[in-house]
Amino acid sequence: MSIIEVRDVKKTYPLGKVEVHAVKGVSFSIEKGDFISIAGPSGSGKSTILNMIGLIDKPSAGEVLIEDRPTSGLSDKELTRLRHEVLGFIFQSFNLIPVLNVWENIEFPLLLGRTKVSQAEKKEWIDWLIAEVGLGDWKTHKPNELSGGQRQRVAIARALVTKPGIVLADEPTANLDSSTGEQIIELMKKINRELNTTFIFSTHDAKIVDVADHIIRLKDGLIVENRRLNGADSMDQVKE
Amino acid sequence: MKFIIPRIALRNLSRQKKRSFLLGGAIAFGIMIVTLINGFAGAFIENVSENFSYLMAGHVFVQGAEKTASGKRLSVIRDDSIIFSALRDSGLDYEFATKTSEVSASLYFEGKTIRQTLTGLDLATNLFLRERVVLRQGSWDTIGPDSIILSEKIASRLNVLPGDRITASFQTITGQNNIADFTLAAISVDSSIIGSTMSYVDLAYINEAIGLKSGEYMALGFMLRDLKAAEPFAARLYTSMAGMGIHLFERSAGEEGTATTPFQAMMRAQRTEDWEGSRYSVYTIDDIVSQAKQIVVALDGASLVILLVLFAIVMIGINNTFRMVMYERIKEIGTMRALGVQRKEIKSLFLNEALFLAIGGAVSGIVLALIAMSLLSLIDFGMNTPAFMIMKNGHLSFFVPPLRAVFNVVIIAILTLLAAYFPAKAAAKMEPAVALRTAK
Ligand SMILES: Nc1ncnc2c1ncn2[C@@H]1O[C@H](COP(=O)(O)OP(=O)(O)OP(=O)(O)O)[C@@H](O)[C@H]1O
Ligand SMILES: [Mg+2]
Repeated sequence: MSIIEVRDVKKTYPLGKVEVHAVKGVSFSIEKGDFISIAGPSGSGKSTILNMIGLIDKPSAGEVLIEDRPTSGLSDKELTRLRHEVLGFIFQSFNLIPVLNVWENIEFPLLLGRTKVSQAEKKEWIDWLIAEVGLGDWKTHKPNELSGGQRQRVAIARALVTKPGIVLADEPTANLDSSTGEQIIELMKKINRELNTTFIFSTHDAKIVDVADHIIRLKDGLIVENRRLNGADSMDQVKE
Repeated sequence: MKFIIPRIALRNLSRQKKRSFLLGGAIAFGIMIVTLINGFAGAFIENVSENFSYLMAGHVFVQGAEKTASGKRLSVIRDDSIIFSALRDSGLDYEFATKTSEVSASLYFEGKTIRQTLTGLDLATNLFLRERVVLRQGSWDTIGPDSIILSEKIASRLNVLPGDRITASFQTITGQNNIADFTLAAISVDSSIIGSTMSYVDLAYINEAIGLKSGEYMALGFMLRDLKAAEPFAARLYTSMAGMGIHLFERSAGEEGTATTPFQAMMRAQRTEDWEGSRYSVYTIDDIVSQAKQIVVALDGASLVILLVLFAIVMIGINNTFRMVMYERIKEIGTMRALGVQRKEIKSLFLNEALFLAIGGAVSGIVLALIAMSLLSLIDFGMNTPAFMIMKNGHLSFFVPPLRAVFNVVIIAILTLLAAYFPAKAAAKMEPAVALRTAK
């Protein structure tokens, strides 16, 4: 069973009088627990696809299914609720809430919607996450007191706090130096193994692509490669 | 939501301290001005009433009136025993009762002349006068039947000293011209509460000069322990007098749907109606100053206009600021939306900020106004100022009706929310992908 299925999705942006065909019809599926890299040159449509999977943008045509649920007919409110329940987000520029400290930033998603967890359970879980991302000593610091790598660790913990099935990360390492970027990817990979969370991240960096066990490569809004690695069960080659 | 939105809103306000301070300060300033006006208006009536009652030596008055055959109205109480027995019947209590007659006269002394209202009362025995009027020159011991007491200001304008003889010309109650001589017995200190406008003469002497018999006078004033007791006192006295069959002017004959006060209606009845014998009117200091209440209404109206004008300006500032804030925080908005914050929660984030700003500003404004009031009321303006009528013992005094203050805060809160509403709505409407892309 695929946790995500993308069916012939297209995305067209109006740009003045012309239209930009950012994604020209792509189909693929993602299995539970995958660690997927969406690769491709700048402008190839990586962010556009991640946004549509993340339900923060709508396809112009086609369908995105999340845990077998079609999403095209959903209202903004339902999409928001679905994002909150099944998706986690990691951003290129970290996007922490500046007025909240590390602990509060991680807690934030738990205060939304109707998540029912006991106070003690919540505290234990957040503390576990903070230890997991290695920020035990930084709980009460504000984002502007942290380095880029530390901020991205907070963001990872925040993305995981609601125990989502899928975490989306659009170029999570682009604002970090390469060794910090590798550490971040390592951390994501570790969590992927431990919690079996599906990670989908986009990147330019060839070295980071290699960590993935499933690569989807884009060019000009089309898939040019869709490959499962490390003895993964399927290996679809590209039709072009 | 577990208060996360208000919590973030509150912290967001302290993020741009200078900006919040300026906006909150503008709100505070507006509220302060308006509260000062409200506070002044709130104490106005009471101050005016209290000062009037000192000037007129009473809180409640009984006046007698007669119509002559020619239709001329005389102000006279021929026999006050019925009034006092009505008073005894009703068991009412007062501090002083003062019998007065008044006449408008021209005073002459060595080529100088001045127009004055002479108030006749029993100089020899009136306790109220002796208690309140401070003498600069002369003494109560030298009071004789033809004595006059003038204030410093009038004495100096006439250039008279105690012992000088002053001539007065005036009309008798029947309209004949008459003159009388007075001896200046004493000069009163201007700064007394009675002010510099009063001239006192002896009741018996002036009555004779204007054609009233001994024991007769124009009005009877009762000084009570408390201004607030005036209305019940007047009401019971009226009932008691009416019960004894005394002919009275209607007290509450206000005409429906007109601006005429009951007191004005009573005065008109005295002019227009015809009656036989003596007819009495009972009125209070409140009735006399009831027109001053229109000033209060005007002041409160003006304060509301000021409030609205000031806040039209503040609202533009708030509207602009929140539009700017929306762009500054576009990334946060996109992030929050991605993480599962609903549109209406984004809206309420902004509205919460606006509300905290409004309430913070308004409450500081009221506090500032209260501080300003207590400082202003420390200033001693003295009794000589023409504005002493609106003051309390020569000091400004204020009273802010609590409901009025609450009303002002609510108005500000509503206006601020209104100003922030459209930027908040725009922020909520933004698509998360657009918000996240716009921010770099
Ligand atoms: N809102 C938009 N309006 C118009 N064109 C857009 C918009 N968003 C993206 N595009 C265009 O769509 C194409 C795909 O953009 P997208 O951001 O998905 O690329 P990308 O692979 O993420 O690139 P990068 O590596 O630079 O982030 C590009 O040509 C881009 O210019
Ligand atoms: Mg991109």
